[in-house]
Amino acid sequence: MKLITMKKEFIKGFAYRYKFSLVALMVFLLGGGILFGQGGFRFRGGGGGGGGGGTTTTGGGTVVTGVNTYSVNVRNVNKTMSDGANVNFWGFNSEIPGPVIIVGENQRFDLTLQGGMWPHEMSPYQGHTIHLHGLDVPQSEDGVPETGAPVMGDTYTFYTGSGWAGTYAYHCHVHTVKHLEQGMYGMIVVKPVDSAGNTTNEVYSGGPRYDYEEFWTLSTVDPAYHTATGDSTVFADYNPKYYLISGKEGLSQASPAKTLAAAPGKNVIYRLNGMHSVNSTFSVKDASGNAKAFTVYMQAGRKLAQPETVTSLDVAPGQTFDVLLTLPSSSGTLYPQLTYKDLRNNMPYTNGTVYTKVTF
Amino acid sequence: MNKTSIRVVFTAAIVAGSIFSTGAVFGETKNFLLFAETGNVVVSGAGGATIPAWGYSDVAGQAKFPGPQLEVTEGDTVNITLINYHNRNHNLVVQGLSDSNQTAVQPSQAYTYSFTADRAGTFLYKDTLNSNINRSMGMYGAFIVRPADGTKTVYHQYYDKENVWVVGEMDKSRWNDRAASGQSVNTSVYKPNYFLMNGQGGFSAMHDDAGTTMTGVVGQMALARIVNGGQFSHSLHFHGGHILIVGENGVPLENPRWATTVSVKPNSTKDVIYEMVQPGVFPMHIHTAQMETANGVYLNGVAAMIVIN
Repeated sequence: MKLITMKKEFIKGFAYRYKFSLVALMVFLLGGGILFGQGGFRFRGGGGGGGGGGTTTTGGGTVVTGVNTYSVNVRNVNKTMSDGANVNFWGFNSEIPGPVIIVGENQRFDLTLQGGMWPHEMSPYQGHTIHLHGLDVPQSEDGVPETGAPVMGDTYTFYTGSGWAGTYAYHCHVHTVKHLEQGMYGMIVVKPVDSAGNTTNEVYSGGPRYDYEEFWTLSTVDPAYHTATGDSTVFADYNPKYYLISGKEGLSQASPAKTLAAAPGKNVIYRLNGMHSVNSTFSVKDASGNAKAFTVYMQAGRKLAQPETVTSLDVAPGQTFDVLLTLPSSSGTLYPQLTYKDLRNNMPYTNGTVYTKVTF
Repeated sequence: MNKTSIRVVFTAAIVAGSIFSTGAVFGETKNFLLFAETGNVVVSGAGGATIPAWGYSDVAGQAKFPGPQLEVTEGDTVNITLINYHNRNHNLVVQGLSDSNQTAVQPSQAYTYSFTADRAGTFLYKDTLNSNINRSMGMYGAFIVRPADGTKTVYHQYYDKENVWVVGEMDKSRWNDRAASGQSVNTSVYKPNYFLMNGQGGFSAMHDDAGTTMTGVVGQMALARIVNGGQFSHSLHFHGGHILIVGENGVPLENPRWATTVSVKPNSTKDVIYEMVQPGVFPMHIHTAQMETANGVYLNGVAAMIVIN
């Protein structure tokens, strides 16, 4: 089943990205992994994984699919922000956000957090865990130290059910104020499975299909949190300075956080994962700022009773959504974007909009 | 007139009013007597503080945070008499039910707000005066209207268990300390450093000191009536199961939504029903950085526990 799934995903990705992928194909053949130019598709066929080891591709990080076990460690990641400042993060497998993990419905998955973790805080907030956010796991797999989770490495097992397709999160649940801010978050995507056991590109089982898939983990950065530790009064206030989509800034239409080259009339699914700490609103606009409608299908991995077609969607901290954008049938450019807003008045922050770009 | 004599006179008036009231054709008449006065919010444990505050109480001399939980039945005629024991004006408005009457009650005066609870649901009651300062000093609470048909439902959704979670925040140094000592508050700056669940920090609320723990057995549906009296959005995440979001500000959602995180806007309510699918002990906590702390101390912010047998 693993091999079949791999092959299918490979062919699909290859067809979409053929003209960008010859070099990546060479890398795959030589190195045992697949790297696609656009969208950053990276395949780990052998299970396990681990070790930061991976070269990440332009436009995205590691995507794990076709396996039912995976392993992550925790490592320092130093990022240079748009203003030249350096900010220290802690990344699962050295990535901010951590790898995207794709799982089929009705499947078991074992996600291992390797021991010997570094870096982490001193007592009382020592170690790390993984919380499988939204997956309704038992207490023993919940990753919450205060309810008994080990903090020096563990394997977290979860089972997905029917009707669970959609977007979830995983993140460290030790001192989440500090550890989330440090970048210890990632995305889990549950997909429908066909009769042959392969994941499908349906939004949900029997639902509309998408042609392109975008993974957006939302986060904000207050640099003071990255240097503070323990129970510092720094954590009593939050003053974000950098605004990210999947670890990247995108301060203008001209310098988007992500780009997607697509075909007109096709469907793009946006998987939104709110790991930020303020209010936010997702929207899709053209170059002049005119809003384009999209359809919300899923929240927290559950189908809405009725899909809702809207021109903006609020994504609060801890929420996940799956929305579908149908590109216009004639060529053009759109700017799907995320505007971060303050918790009090819901007013956009200065430079708080992160732009992405879709050409078709 | 001293406080005791005011209380006697007005309590007598309420009793007389009840006796001679003709009563509504549908529903009963429910009378409440509340006091506006000073008090302290006490956040226990590391990072905690005693925060000077203003509040409502049903016992003279002891302001409560949040204000007393008020419950009526759909169709009831409601009379809330507010006796003001504080040195500035206060009022009491049940948002969504009595908004048209925002009469200010002067110090040492009393006033009775009368209205009909014309729909079932969860509502916020609060002081609307003084540019949000009165409310942010602690003057808010939950007002619950139960359905007239007597069923254990909220917005037509059945439930087995029920919790009322009143959340909010306090900016101790810029708002509470200053207003309590008669100084002006610069309302353009609000940087709260205490985040409250039923008037307490997480260290207390997670130990059920305020009756906040959600309990039940596998298979039960547990209603949380969430009332946000604060100025910040509260984004609350449930472990161990999904919730069905069924209503907001006393209005049923046309299409209830499953989620594991619900965002409750400032000055509003949301009702969610947690489906107890497995035994265990799980946290329910806010998912927003500083709001998980008491003045920076982790886990002494907005949190509660879910215990399923």
